[in-house]
Amino acid sequence: MRKLPIAVALLGVAAAACGTSSGGGTQAGSSSAPAAGGAKPLAGVKIEVAAKWTGDEQANFEKVLKAFEAKTGASVTYASTGEDTGAYLGPRIEGGNPPDVAILPQPGLVQQYADQGALKPLSSQVQAQIDQNYTPYWKELGSAKGQVYGVLVKAAHKSLIWYRQSAFDDAGAQPATTWDDLVSKTAQTLSDSGTTPFALCAASGWTLTDLFENIYLSSAGPDNYDKLSKHEIPWTDASVTTALQKMAQVVGKKEFILGGPSGALQTDFPTCVTQVYGQKKAAMVIEADFVAASVPQSGAKVGEEAKIMPFPKVGDTAPVILGGDVAVVMKDSKGAQALLEYLASKEGGEVWAKQPGYLSPNRNVSPDNYPDDLTKQLAQTIISAGESVRYDMSDLAPSAFGGTDGKGEWKDLQDFLRTPTDVKGAQQKLEADAAKAFEK
Amino acid sequence: MTTTVAEQPRHAMAIQRGVAGRIMDRLGGGVVQVFLVLVAVFWLVPTLGLLIVSLRSETANNSTGWWTLLTKPAEITFKNYSNLLASGFGQSFWNTVLITVPATLLVIGIAAMAAYAFAWIEFPGRDAVFLVVIALLVVPVQIALIPIAKLYGFLGIFGSILGVVLFHVAFGLPFAIFLLRNFFVGIPRELLEAARMDGAPEWRIFATVVFPLAKPAIASLGIFQFLWVWNDLLVALVFADTDNQPMTKALQSQMRQFGTNVDILAPGAFLSLIIPLVLFFAFQRYFVQGLLAGSVK
Amino acid sequence: MTERLDGPQAPGGGDAAGEPPGPRETPPAGVTAPVAAAASATAAVPAEGAAPPRLGPSPRLAVMFLLPAVLLLAAWMIYPLVYSLVRSLFDASGSRFVGLGNYGSIFTDSSTLTTIRNNVIWVVVAPVVVTALGLIFAVLTERIRWATAFKLVLFMPMAVSLLAAGVIFRLVYEQDPDKGVANAIITTVHDTFSSSTGYPGARPRENDQAPATVQGGAVVAKQQAQPGRPVLIPLVGLSQDVVKDAAPAKAAPADGIGGTVWLDVVRGGGGTLNQVDPQEKGLAGITVEAVSGSTVKATTETADDGTFRFSGLPAGSYVIRLPQSNFTAPFNGVTWLGPALITPAIIGAYIWVWAGFAMVLIAAGLSAIPRDALEAARIDGATEWQVFRRITVPLLAPVLLVVFVTMVINVLKVFDLVFIIAPGSVQPQANVIALEMWRVSFGGGGNQGLGSALSIFLLLLVVPFMIFNIRRFRRDES
Repeated sequence: MRKLPIAVALLGVAAAACGTSSGGGTQAGSSSAPAAGGAKPLAGVKIEVAAKWTGDEQANFEKVLKAFEAKTGASVTYASTGEDTGAYLGPRIEGGNPPDVAILPQPGLVQQYADQGALKPLSSQVQAQIDQNYTPYWKELGSAKGQVYGVLVKAAHKSLIWYRQSAFDDAGAQPATTWDDLVSKTAQTLSDSGTTPFALCAASGWTLTDLFENIYLSSAGPDNYDKLSKHEIPWTDASVTTALQKMAQVVGKKEFILGGPSGALQTDFPTCVTQVYGQKKAAMVIEADFVAASVPQSGAKVGEEAKIMPFPKVGDTAPVILGGDVAVVMKDSKGAQALLEYLASKEGGEVWAKQPGYLSPNRNVSPDNYPDDLTKQLAQTIISAGESVRYDMSDLAPSAFGGTDGKGEWKDLQDFLRTPTDVKGAQQKLEADAAKAFEK
Repeated sequence: MTTTVAEQPRHAMAIQRGVAGRIMDRLGGGVVQVFLVLVAVFWLVPTLGLLIVSLRSETANNSTGWWTLLTKPAEITFKNYSNLLASGFGQSFWNTVLITVPATLLVIGIAAMAAYAFAWIEFPGRDAVFLVVIALLVVPVQIALIPIAKLYGFLGIFGSILGVVLFHVAFGLPFAIFLLRNFFVGIPRELLEAARMDGAPEWRIFATVVFPLAKPAIASLGIFQFLWVWNDLLVALVFADTDNQPMTKALQSQMRQFGTNVDILAPGAFLSLIIPLVLFFAFQRYFVQGLLAGSVK
Repeated sequence: MTERLDGPQAPGGGDAAGEPPGPRETPPAGVTAPVAAAASATAAVPAEGAAPPRLGPSPRLAVMFLLPAVLLLAAWMIYPLVYSLVRSLFDASGSRFVGLGNYGSIFTDSSTLTTIRNNVIWVVVAPVVVTALGLIFAVLTERIRWATAFKLVLFMPMAVSLLAAGVIFRLVYEQDPDKGVANAIITTVHDTFSSSTGYPGARPRENDQAPATVQGGAVVAKQQAQPGRPVLIPLVGLSQDVVKDAAPAKAAPADGIGGTVWLDVVRGGGGTLNQVDPQEKGLAGITVEAVSGSTVKATTETADDGTFRFSGLPAGSYVIRLPQSNFTAPFNGVTWLGPALITPAIIGAYIWVWAGFAMVLIAAGLSAIPRDALEAARIDGATEWQVFRRITVPLLAPVLLVVFVTMVINVLKVFDLVFIIAPGSVQPQANVIALEMWRVSFGGGGNQGLGSALSIFLLLLVVPFMIFNIRRFRRDES
């Protein structure tokens, strides 16, 4: 397209006919009306950014992009990669035409793409923003081989259980602080009262890895967690057995899961949120803070009907697991670096923070921007990430193991959900897949 | 379609078998009628479901089945459609058009020339080359995904509409050449001979004698290629980037959250099938003709 | 094939060969005419091929006419073929030669083996069913007046993209009978024959103190019933909404053999476990059996307040049992999109798309069968079934073969439907080669060596049909 006038002309027709897809009409004028963009440094520059968000999360992010457009005059197109970001970017990297900016759901991909030479180092301006706004821990997650490639633009607090207050009230159930209480008291009470305790989004494999990781971090401890993350201990280790057995206490009980295992395996994220707050069929969802983005749509209010409890401790301490999305530059362009600079800045972070379901890892984003107290509180936990806090294990793994639909850990845990009694078999499958993925 | 042909023997048979036979025939006919009505309903209901789901609000779809709309038609809303179009879906609709129209026209033009050569120009190795074309009929698209991605990267057209169009043209050619060549050889030799005798250059014979005669074949090829390209997902999935993605790819990217994205997917899918359906009903006889002329692909 | 379609009689075939195939006005758009037109194409070949051209243009001109097509075919099909073949011999990064290693892993890796198994199921089932349905519909439509309308309806899915068809069937197959039409129909039919009764989901508490326990689906009181010792059967697991209007539970009177079945849960928690509290509701209409040994001695039903009482039962010790029928869960439909049924479910969608195609092709062949042959048989006293079996089907055999082969080739390449219909968690179980090739090449792992090997494997699978096509063409030409 770049080299061939015909295609350019065709595109021109398309653009003239209906405007660019992201700008929705307002931004389309920026190139045709230079007078308006006089003072803006990036007037007429086109930037494509790809991320996995759809629906509400996409709409929220597009508000940030709008603010960037308004500030710089650039026109930004948002591309949804779908759940499997690797599968989306793979052919585009192969074909030498990646998006300008990609937001990777896993630091594991930063490593992988850096190895392939698909990433561009960040400009000094972006790095300055990072140094100013991020703790070294977060900076490191966006780095590979000593080079900074990415900015963590969105953080997720993954050690939460969301519950529906009215279901708890009806049943007389209480939030739990230990796993055993969660299983034998909270969930049992709910179940006895006729409300299914949990809605699982097991069709989205990552929700299961999140659950497992929380149990594992708490039951096996941070040291083992680090070792398993790097595959220094095998998945057949006894610590994994314990964690899977604990997990089976919930997922192995038909009446604890909405629709049973087979129903859960057909439920994709965030449908389980709708099941709890919209259809009121279940009482709890075990997932991260970003559930908040889907709560309002179901007609519930965060902090009132939709409440959270910290993930209860399975072993000695309660787990805190974080996740995040890393923005990287895949094409050397002024626009791409400028967008990253904006996303890494206090200004950009604060625009985003006003949207529901967002936590900023940027320590200079004022907590006052968050829409509710609950989010404020969570944001605090993330910024002051302490010693025992760990990053989402599956996201650190090679994506063939930890981040691919229908493969590796996602698939093996889904299979485990089908036969929760077969802990050994699940461990063997996990070990086999991990060995394959880490060997490469 | 074939009722007139089928009618005669049935009457003859009925007469042969007398009154009792006629009653039996009626009875049997009744069962067949009912059965076929059921089958037709069976075939229509899924699409009807899609249409109705696309016309109901997300809350309504989450609480009751689409068939309840039949009792309370007031639920109909076009909000899903307006939301969809506001979200930039119009662009991908255009992209689909911009991919499909050139890909169809180019295939017709290029294949017609080649088919003419295969049918009416004697050259060494003609049969062998044509056998290669026939062999290529069944080659799966998958074989070219990786190499062509590399090639496009090298040419700098990866992600562009041009790249997608060319891919479709290439993979549409074997069928197109096969279909048209078989049609062209059926054109009476005298017509060509007469033109050649008059000293008309070959390109003019092609343009003024053969091409017009081949209209039905070209129409059926056209509708085939159009539907094939319009409905393609895989090629777009690999080769089109977001600016240039057709509707199929735009919808696919919403698929992983099917449960909560039905309000986008249903109207999107329905919009994507309107034009093919209209074309199909308008040109279905050419469509059938094309099927009959070269189904093995 | 077209020649065969027309069969020995070829109605209109004779004139078509001599007539310029211009636009034909045969409304409503018929099948017969196009067949004839297409037939003229092949029918004319032998005559033409034999005579040497008198005024033929130079072969050089052929190059001009062929050039664009040849260039495209060479660059987009031949070159990739060679490239993929070579690439399939190298590892993921493309730098290490691994020989046939990638092909080896196709047959050892469990996930690719699943795809092969699924492709086998597809190839065995789908083409046969599509062809058979096409044949049935084609034969039956000959007997109705609205055949054209019927054919249009069945043929319509051919125009719909497989993505849209996938979305359509994803909706059809939704598990929730309030969403998916397939389960809505099935549950409605099911419920008219055996409706769910009683209190699905109700169960005793699972602990040692609970006075009742579950045995083989039935709820059994741990304490034996004796006159003067009423049995308490507290149940849980029911929503308060179910018993909103029920009467408060009461303890059974102490005389005779009886007891109480009630919902031992108080809204908002509280209440004494295993005791009838004033706010708790009785469960009415539950069938209660008094069992002695292994025989049911008496049966009764609970009253509104949950009490039950066996009158006229000889004194003694009985096991009190609430049979499973009290708790039958409402039939929730079929899990179409679960791992067990996913491939059949997708094949169902595929049949929906392609049955019309088969029907139209077969109907065209049918209309070309000589009527005299059928009539002669009928006059000889053959039944319709015999006519169908002995005459129609054999005469149609070539058409059926073409439909079948077309379907096999098509099925081998099936991609969109599987990709769209199977939910993420079931993709591995539904996977097919064409989809796995895309996943492996461009997905998370990004192994283009294995991806190339898969694409070559796919190609090898269609090679027999390539040969079939070439042979058929040669036979038709000579």
